[in-house]
Amino acid sequence: MRDFILKRVAAIILPFICTYGFYVILHGHVSPGGSFAGGIIVGLSFIAFSTIYGIEKGRARLPETVLTWTESFGTLWYGIMGMVGITKGAPFLANKLAGIDLGVPGTLSSGGLISLIGLGVGIRVASTIVTLFFTMMEEKS
Amino acid sequence: MTAAITANLPVFVVIAPLFVAFVLPTFARRMRLVEGLVIFVEALGLVGAGYLASIVLAQKGIPIIYRLGGWPAPWGIELEVGSLGAFFLLVIAGVSLPVALFARGNLTKEVGSKERVTRFYVLYLLLNGALAGMAVTNDLFNVFVLVEVATLSCCGLVSARNHPRAAEAAFTYLILATLGSTLVLGGIGFLYITTGHLNMGFSSQELGRIWQDNPHVVWVAISFMLVGFGVKSALFPLHLWLPDAHSTAPSPASAILSGLAIKGYLICLLKILYNVFGHTLIQAFAVHRILVLAGMVAIIAGSILALTQDELKRRLAFSTVAQVGYIYLGLGLVNTKGLTGMLFYLASHAVSKSALFLAAGAMIAATGKQSISELAGIGRKMPITMAVFTVGSLSLVGIPLFSGFIGKWYLILGNLEAGNIIPVAVIIIGSVLCAAYLFPIIRTAYFEPVADEDWQDPGLPQKISLILLAVAIVILGVLPGPFLELASRAAAEFLVLQ
Repeated sequence: MRDFILKRVAAIILPFICTYGFYVILHGHVSPGGSFAGGIIVGLSFIAFSTIYGIEKGRARLPETVLTWTESFGTLWYGIMGMVGITKGAPFLANKLAGIDLGVPGTLSSGGLISLIGLGVGIRVASTIVTLFFTMMEEKS
Repeated sequence: MTAAITANLPVFVVIAPLFVAFVLPTFARRMRLVEGLVIFVEALGLVGAGYLASIVLAQKGIPIIYRLGGWPAPWGIELEVGSLGAFFLLVIAGVSLPVALFARGNLTKEVGSKERVTRFYVLYLLLNGALAGMAVTNDLFNVFVLVEVATLSCCGLVSARNHPRAAEAAFTYLILATLGSTLVLGGIGFLYITTGHLNMGFSSQELGRIWQDNPHVVWVAISFMLVGFGVKSALFPLHLWLPDAHSTAPSPASAILSGLAIKGYLICLLKILYNVFGHTLIQAFAVHRILVLAGMVAIIAGSILALTQDELKRRLAFSTVAQVGYIYLGLGLVNTKGLTGMLFYLASHAVSKSALFLAAGAMIAATGKQSISELAGIGRKMPITMAVFTVGSLSLVGIPLFSGFIGKWYLILGNLEAGNIIPVAVIIIGSVLCAAYLFPIIRTAYFEPVADEDWQDPGLPQKISLILLAVAIVILGVLPGPFLELASRAAAEFLVLQ
């Protein structure tokens, strides 16, 4: 696409969409949405980038190796966060039992590890959805 | 450190394969590292399963309960390593370690490039983690999630070979297995609506109180579960996907699919039937009669279908349909001996069928020939492979001193205790049919003139893996002690509830 207006508008909006996605991921425990919905939004910002600016530019921005690494370590991050409980002598995925301060209810920190775990899931979902998009685009051509 | 590891072992056996699976794609080009990691984590799994089994045996059947996140039962998710869990964990680790060893350095010919092989291992470990989860989970929704993980990894394993037939088989499997998952989810939904619990123990207590008020819901839930898991574990009329899927997959994948994946679904069905519905409901709704009948039909039909196949791996795949029949037959015997026999037969079939599939894979790889009639004289060219194949066949037929015999013996005892005569006859006829479709292969291999070709036994890791499986079959047959004890304790626990 060679639409000047579309490209300018996208350049302004896409960073905000991406940031909003991370907001949804991190606030999964106090507001609607969560890591899956937020991850889709983050992935969507990259998909919109590649449809507007062309698939080659999108690929250059997110090469396959980067996607593989984020995909692997997004999930691994979940496991590492689960292990925090074990290192503190509490069961797997323990939150308050692992000695995390849960703060004031309704705020970001009230979830303890949940928002960090969600971050891993969100990154994984985002990279998966982008990988799926690239795969389908390659099959078409 | 060691205390933390042993205390968290029930969760480690599930997440260790998953962890490694997530790390593997980043090492895609370093094949030796990938294979080493896979074998390492499988060996760790075997050690962990052995340790858990020893604890469970020492505790006289008191299960190890693990609360994820520290939340107690009705709210949180529980893992329970009882006799059944420890038994199935041992089966999983005991089969998947030799299979991983067999796959070492041997997959590129069947699967393709290094990236594809790495993807194969990722799916293999995901399947492994899901099966370990099925062994220890005590939560209905977890069952569904693990079933889905296992199903999707199985689809990937079936399509691992770069061949149009593999893609077709995987697609058929995907459609039918998704149908099965939907039914399982529906069944779990009905249970949740009526009982308000996802924890198996609490769900069962609640169900025992209210089932007389809602018999229709229980009916629907039981039938959804039976058909859903029936599709997934290839119960006879629902087996249509299995022969293609298991015969076109690469041989380590066939071994793990036929040997373990199906058993995972059967363990889930067993847990849901006996831990959630409980034996009183099973008898009140006559589910045990349906199971015995379905098992008998599957034994006869699967054996006859296997007789008509000339392609080696297809014959073994159809044989799985018949052998699943024995397990369903055992599921329907509501007494300790029958359930013990069912569990032991499940383990025995897991080991024997993976040995058979691996040996068949080694023969097909060495000769490039698919059909049985072309394998004349292979017993003298590939002595170790064919010896393991013979041991596996003898176990599957149920000759004494091999593991299959003990399973069948207990199944027959269980049937006699329940007063069923026809199933006993069917088990014996099934064994004869099994001999009829497996022994001709051995006769062709040993007693027919040798073709003048250069066929050789596979490499060292493959030989070790085959021998390990053969030794496991013989040990299970000669010294079944602790295994039989775990199985009979698990069976007794199922009948104590309610």
